[in-house]
Amino acid sequence: MELPATGQQLPLIHVAIVEDDLGFRQALTDAIEGTQDIRLAGIAGTRAEGLNLLHEAPTDVLLVDLGLPDGSGIDVIKAAVQQWPSCSIMVATNFGDETHVIRSIEAGASGYLLKDSTPARIVDEIRSVASGGSPISPIIARQVLARFRQIKTRGPAQSTTPDETAQLLSGREKEVLELITKGFTANEIAKLMSLSPFTVRSFVRRIYTKLNVTSKAEAIYEARNQGILDG
Amino acid sequence: MKPGIRGFWTASSIQRLPSDDALIEKKPYRLLKYVPSWFFAVAAPVFSVALLVALGASLSLATSGTRCSEECLHLTRAHWQEAETTRFSPAPVSLDSRSLPDAWHDTALPLAIPAQATPGANADAGRITWVRLPVSGHPSAAKSLALYGVRLKTDGPIDIYVNGKLVYRAQQQGQQWSSLFTPLWVSLEQGTGDAPVREILIRLEHTQQYPVAVSSLWLGQADALRSRYEIRQWLQRGLPGMLNAAFLAVGIFGLFVWFRRRHEPGYLLFFNLSVIAFVAHLHYYVDLPIANDWLGWLVLNSLCWLLTVTHFFLRHLHGRPLRWLSRGMVAATLLIGVATAPLPWALPNTQFVLAVVYAIELLMALVVSVLGGVCSWRSSREGRLVVVGIAICVLLGASDWMMHNNVVSIEGWFLGAYTNGVAFIFFGLLMYRRYVGAIEEVERVNASLAERLRAREAELEQSHQRLREIEQRQLLSDERQRLMQDMHDGLGSTLISAIRSVEQGRMRDTEVSQILKDCMDDLKLAIDSMEPVEADLLLLLATLRFRLEPRMEGADVALTWDVRELPALDWLDPSSALNILRIVQESVANILRHTRATVIRMATDVEGSGVQVVIEDNGQGFDVATAFARGNGRGLRNQQRRAQAIGGSVAWVSGETGTRFTLWLPRQRAAPAA
Repeated sequence: MELPATGQQLPLIHVAIVEDDLGFRQALTDAIEGTQDIRLAGIAGTRAEGLNLLHEAPTDVLLVDLGLPDGSGIDVIKAAVQQWPSCSIMVATNFGDETHVIRSIEAGASGYLLKDSTPARIVDEIRSVASGGSPISPIIARQVLARFRQIKTRGPAQSTTPDETAQLLSGREKEVLELITKGFTANEIAKLMSLSPFTVRSFVRRIYTKLNVTSKAEAIYEARNQGILDG
Repeated sequence: MKPGIRGFWTASSIQRLPSDDALIEKKPYRLLKYVPSWFFAVAAPVFSVALLVALGASLSLATSGTRCSEECLHLTRAHWQEAETTRFSPAPVSLDSRSLPDAWHDTALPLAIPAQATPGANADAGRITWVRLPVSGHPSAAKSLALYGVRLKTDGPIDIYVNGKLVYRAQQQGQQWSSLFTPLWVSLEQGTGDAPVREILIRLEHTQQYPVAVSSLWLGQADALRSRYEIRQWLQRGLPGMLNAAFLAVGIFGLFVWFRRRHEPGYLLFFNLSVIAFVAHLHYYVDLPIANDWLGWLVLNSLCWLLTVTHFFLRHLHGRPLRWLSRGMVAATLLIGVATAPLPWALPNTQFVLAVVYAIELLMALVVSVLGGVCSWRSSREGRLVVVGIAICVLLGASDWMMHNNVVSIEGWFLGAYTNGVAFIFFGLLMYRRYVGAIEEVERVNASLAERLRAREAELEQSHQRLREIEQRQLLSDERQRLMQDMHDGLGSTLISAIRSVEQGRMRDTEVSQILKDCMDDLKLAIDSMEPVEADLLLLLATLRFRLEPRMEGADVALTWDVRELPALDWLDPSSALNILRIVQESVANILRHTRATVIRMATDVEGSGVQVVIEDNGQGFDVATAFARGNGRGLRNQQRRAQAIGGSVAWVSGETGTRFTLWLPRQRAAPAA
């Protein structure tokens, strides 16, 4: 899309990547090279390296591949949520299929990046996620809706802190998700709901956060049910 | 399984099983609800036994309460003499014992005089046996007195004098059937002025060979002696009579069983047995005089018949023919029957003949029971039981025979009266075994039926499991086949042609990149087709749009998304989804490749009994017929083939201002061919 003519207007975005696929690492490096506002701040090739990376200064965006040679990227995502709370985590995926993406979002990811995206698209997605937006596909929207419907019928889980209380979707959030499942793009939805496209993407981010919190609450609820935790 | 088993598998018999269970469960409610069942199991027998024990106790108490003390006199000494007489001469009303010849023999009671035929005596001539009992030291009796004795044994009239006055007469018409088993009871009505009893004189008339006997006598208060008399009477006549009737009842039961089971002659034989036994023991209970000789003959012979039928019954139980014994039994029975018949040519009905015939019958009984026992000891439990019963009956009969012939003390019991009781007990045992056995058999059959039912259910469950597994495997195999087909036709062939082109150096890098991108799109479609779209065609189209978006942006074509809610398509499985994705993708690709369209409109709608997807563009049109005919019509034909495969259809309307492509899909679909 439109590249900013001068880099000074935009805040600098620091990106770190945990990925063993050298090809994608190169593609990312190439894509970032042409920009003024994105900088690669850290590279890790394995899960262990990724976890080590988290001891350093936090970046704005963290790209994580799920299939790492020594374990799952989900662990890195979970650790990053704890150690880099301000960082937006993206999962790098080949297909953006529902199983991988939903798992990542439940673990705390804010978005995903298709590995075969064009350089322009890669840069766009990074900027979008760094500014508080999140991408979503119709299938994922449907799954998220289904998840919240489940929670609703079961009733919100009781938790110790209000932070961990399972949260329900607001009417507008639900509307956004439903429009996405019908094939409308973020821009079209923005027009239909008289919002800015950015607001739509930030709605999605909020939905992901709720899903993450809810799944955490559910995990606690389940654990309490099974007697793992007491209280 | 046996062929007959199929009968068990009718709906009614299967349904009955659970209802039986329900019945069992209901039972406690019908009985007292809050009393546990073990309570009944303990309480019922305890109560019954206690009742019988109490009865026995009160009876013996009643007896002991009126036991004779000094008020009763046991007369154990007597004087007797015998005199010839014309048969059945009348006895005088009063008689002084001093008027009789002074030929008294002193004796102790009980007295049994062996039968002695006087040679050359008139056959019609009878005898009179006089028995005199002096009484001394009897307390003056203000109350009514009674004379009690176990029995007086004679076949003629009995007269008893007290102090020379006739006080008792019996058997004036000849011997009574039951006289042997009936104790003597004489009430002595005494006025206050009467003198105490000094002497008792008994006059017994009898035939020459009859073994006369007199038991010891008791003289005392009637109230004190009555219980002795009653108990004797009941045990010797009442109880055996009851048992005899019970045995007959069991026999009648057997008859009714036989009516329903004609192929089992055992029941009929059993009925026969009980009837004959009833007749044979009639003389124990019936107070009639033996006036008719045929009745005597009947009593005598029924014992023979009884033994013969018993033999046949045993034979039926152990299943061995024993022909010679059967013939012998029948022959002996006939012989005795003819020989003892009261007909001119037959044997005289004398005591001697009677004793001999009874001895023969005893022998027959021994043979029947011993041989029957030997034959059935191994083969038939029932036979064994019957043989034990017969053996006991024979022993009882033998004791009777000895009593009859004064071999043992005549104050004993005629135990032959109990043979029917024994028979009743043993045949009752037999029936009890059969009855319990039948119930257990039914239970066993039911249990095995339930077992078979369970086995069958398990079998069914297993075969269901197998079917499910096969179905699952089939599903997997179908899915694998579909993926293979798709990879082969799409991705595979594209990659192969790309590789070939690259090797031949005919292709520029951008072209290679484009081909690989197409491959990637193919792969993404295949993956999307497996996402859970849940019968939602719109979601499927949305997914496709999401995939195509980058390419649309690249091609600078505006997409108008003009969709409408669609009903669920229940048949939308991954395979159908992939076909739809490919059809729509092909249409969009054609527009991007061949027309110079700037706007594409995609719409969905309900149409007739299905739904339709419309894709319109504003590019230059094409002649549909020519396009099909030409070699590059392969894409169109593919679309058509895929639409048909999922029960839908495709149509093109093309003109100067653009093309309108329609994919129609049915809302319902018949089960797809495997």
